[in-house]
Amino acid sequence: MIIVIGAGPAGLAAAEAAARNGSDVALIDSAPRIGGQYWRHRTEVSGYRSNRAEALFAKIKTSRSVTYISEASVWSIERDGSLIRVNYLQGGTESSLTAEKLIIATGAYDRSLPFPGWDQPGSMTPGAVQALYKGHGVLAGKRVVVAGTGPFLLPVATTLAEAGVEIVGLYEAHSPLRWTLSPVALIFNLSKFAELIYYWRLLAKHGIRPQFGRVVTSFAHGQATISHVDSDFRMKAKRAQTIEVDAVAVGWGFLPDLTLGGIAGCKQRVVSDGTTVFDVDRNQLSSQPNVWIAGEATGIGGADLSLLEGEIAGLAASGQEISSRLRIKRFAKELFAQALSRSYPIRDGWKSWSNEDTVICRCEEVTLANIKESVVELGAEDSRTAKLFTRAGMGLCQGRVCSRNVAEIVAGLTGCSVSDEERIASSNRPIAAPISLGLLGDGKK
Amino acid sequence: MRSPDAIVIGAGIVGASSALSLTNAGLRVLVIDRGAVSSGTTGAGEGNILVSDKDPGPELTLALQSRDLWFEMQEDVGDSFELEAKGGVVVARNDDRPLIKLASEQSQHGVVTQKLDHDSLHQLEPYLHPDLHSGIFYPQDAQCQPMLAAAHVIRTVVSRGGAFISQAKVTRVIVENSRVAGVETSQGIFRAPIVVNATGTWAGEIATMAGSHLPIAPRKGFILVTEPTKKYVFHKVYDSDYVSNVASSDADLQTSTVVEGTRSGTILIGASRERIGFDGSMNYEILRRLAAQATSLFPILRDVQLLRAYRGFRPYAPDHLPVIGEDGKVGGLWHSAGHEGAGIGLAPGSAALITDAILGKKSFMDCSPFSPRRFARVAV
Repeated sequence: MIIVIGAGPAGLAAAEAAARNGSDVALIDSAPRIGGQYWRHRTEVSGYRSNRAEALFAKIKTSRSVTYISEASVWSIERDGSLIRVNYLQGGTESSLTAEKLIIATGAYDRSLPFPGWDQPGSMTPGAVQALYKGHGVLAGKRVVVAGTGPFLLPVATTLAEAGVEIVGLYEAHSPLRWTLSPVALIFNLSKFAELIYYWRLLAKHGIRPQFGRVVTSFAHGQATISHVDSDFRMKAKRAQTIEVDAVAVGWGFLPDLTLGGIAGCKQRVVSDGTTVFDVDRNQLSSQPNVWIAGEATGIGGADLSLLEGEIAGLAASGQEISSRLRIKRFAKELFAQALSRSYPIRDGWKSWSNEDTVICRCEEVTLANIKESVVELGAEDSRTAKLFTRAGMGLCQGRVCSRNVAEIVAGLTGCSVSDEERIASSNRPIAAPISLGLLGDGKK
Repeated sequence: MRSPDAIVIGAGIVGASSALSLTNAGLRVLVIDRGAVSSGTTGAGEGNILVSDKDPGPELTLALQSRDLWFEMQEDVGDSFELEAKGGVVVARNDDRPLIKLASEQSQHGVVTQKLDHDSLHQLEPYLHPDLHSGIFYPQDAQCQPMLAAAHVIRTVVSRGGAFISQAKVTRVIVENSRVAGVETSQGIFRAPIVVNATGTWAGEIATMAGSHLPIAPRKGFILVTEPTKKYVFHKVYDSDYVSNVASSDADLQTSTVVEGTRSGTILIGASRERIGFDGSMNYEILRRLAAQATSLFPILRDVQLLRAYRGFRPYAPDHLPVIGEDGKVGGLWHSAGHEGAGIGLAPGSAALITDAILGKKSFMDCSPFSPRRFARVAV
């Protein structure tokens, strides 16, 4: 049997490919419905090329070889001889599944950068705003600003607009001209122009005009401040603009979810923009035998790349050869992924948006001043010591949101760069989802 | 710092308090560490300052003095680092006679103990399982936040003329004519006639570099950390198995329950002991055992969520006693290591001992039971 964790594009493609080739598949996902973040829905999937999703969903739902386990949070993974055991929480109980093979497709989550007010009610990530609407039918507000960087801002702004939200501003921090840095990637991905045109039409329909080189630099009591920034994200002297909104959706691309692969002991590496990803071979096999990883956890590349990686992982896990056609398609999407990171890099200037009182770790309410004190007064030199001194990253999210920002802030203060070891160590979270001590103890052998 | 009087290797709590004690005695001290402050076992501890878990003997004498020195150090450094004499409650799971016998022996050596019956036990810890009927209260037991403590102590050393250099990994101990002359590190060479090896679990490596020998091995332990909760645990609470496990030499896994609340509202749960080298991997079966034991003491914790777990390596000497004193082969090389799970509690006491020994002063106790030479005798 093959266990697939995650029912987004990569996990679904993996499960489908494995089942098609005669493997029994257990597909585990934490959400109530399949689709992952990307295809989150209540009744049917909406958005660009949503028919792809419906076709894949149908295959999974009708396949006799796929057992789909929803609303199950995997909290740990163990080796049991040559087998792999996945322990998960579902409906207030703990269960486990054992299999020879595991495919991890845990995806990614929004990257947040701190600014004064980012921790206030009404300040959300685009992913959260999207999930709130698509998963629960709840709108973040009547007047919303969508800001940050990256192409994901487009589906969020257009989805909200279609749902009747007034998009007061759509602010992209970078210039679109950065795409000219990646002509080869664009030639290999001409289909992306169709997607761009799709969103462009929707924006035009709702009268939304994206503005570039601007970011949200504060939010409080329904007032968002929009500042002009240079290419390093430093605020320009130009006068900032204040607008009245119900909510701001601010996102800075995505971070791979490394928790479960880390628990499984899979090797990670740090790519050129400082993001930690899993190191996989050409068949998506991780450093651990019989553990494959597909999708955003191996590097942010979007749904198209995730689908291909998932398919390759599913085929490889069921012992199939990978065709060169698939590899070439994946290569083209990898070129696009590299172009994405080249076009929407996160620049150091974000550190200048915060003031001393700005909260950096929301769970433990650690401010920039606290982190500065831990470095200047107590000798913290990396995110680990800063965490021990300030508790930044020790709360409910276990540093998923803040640990990278804390590491960058500490590095800025000490004048050092963040080491790869430190980046990899900060994703070490042995408890992937909170488990009650009662359930934990009851599972004792 | 050009020419320090002494170099302390290790910026954990043992090294930090040694440096402070030497500085206060008038020496110019350079502290070096291969990482940052508190980056070894100090950063993986619970902050125990205990007298309750020790049998009468030299370690208890040291623990009692050290416990008081913690409060003096707090006054000296001028920060609280969450130091708190919260008191310890040891609970008897079944037969309470061994526990009562130990308490009566301890009380003859200066430990304050108070026998608890069912009512007084549950008055101190109202959320304990109602079937638990007997225990001992140790008001002297205390707790601190050890990483913060080491950082504040190092800061004080620096403010009093000392120096701290981090990310300086020792690559060679310079020995000339059987006397230590300094250390070569990844950050350059530092020379001093006195070198204090306070590298805890890694102290054996430094001894080997100096051409000597110190049999310190890691004894791995896990700690569970819960979400912040309402206050359910008021003291440091552990079961009587803990004392026998602490003193055991068994290499196999042992678990006994230690439960305590922290100022941030989380609950810490220990303690496992395993001798399996520097194996950093997670063992979920151990976490399950610890959770089962903790919830059997405090059933209310069943609904509390576990948020994280971490592990550390206690520096373990074959006879469970710390190693405090001058090296048997290399003059001027002083060791203060091997404190096992008691390093936080024993740190200022060990610092006082080593400072007195270096200065040739009479100390509050005879430190020969802790001498590094005791292993040389065995080896020959």
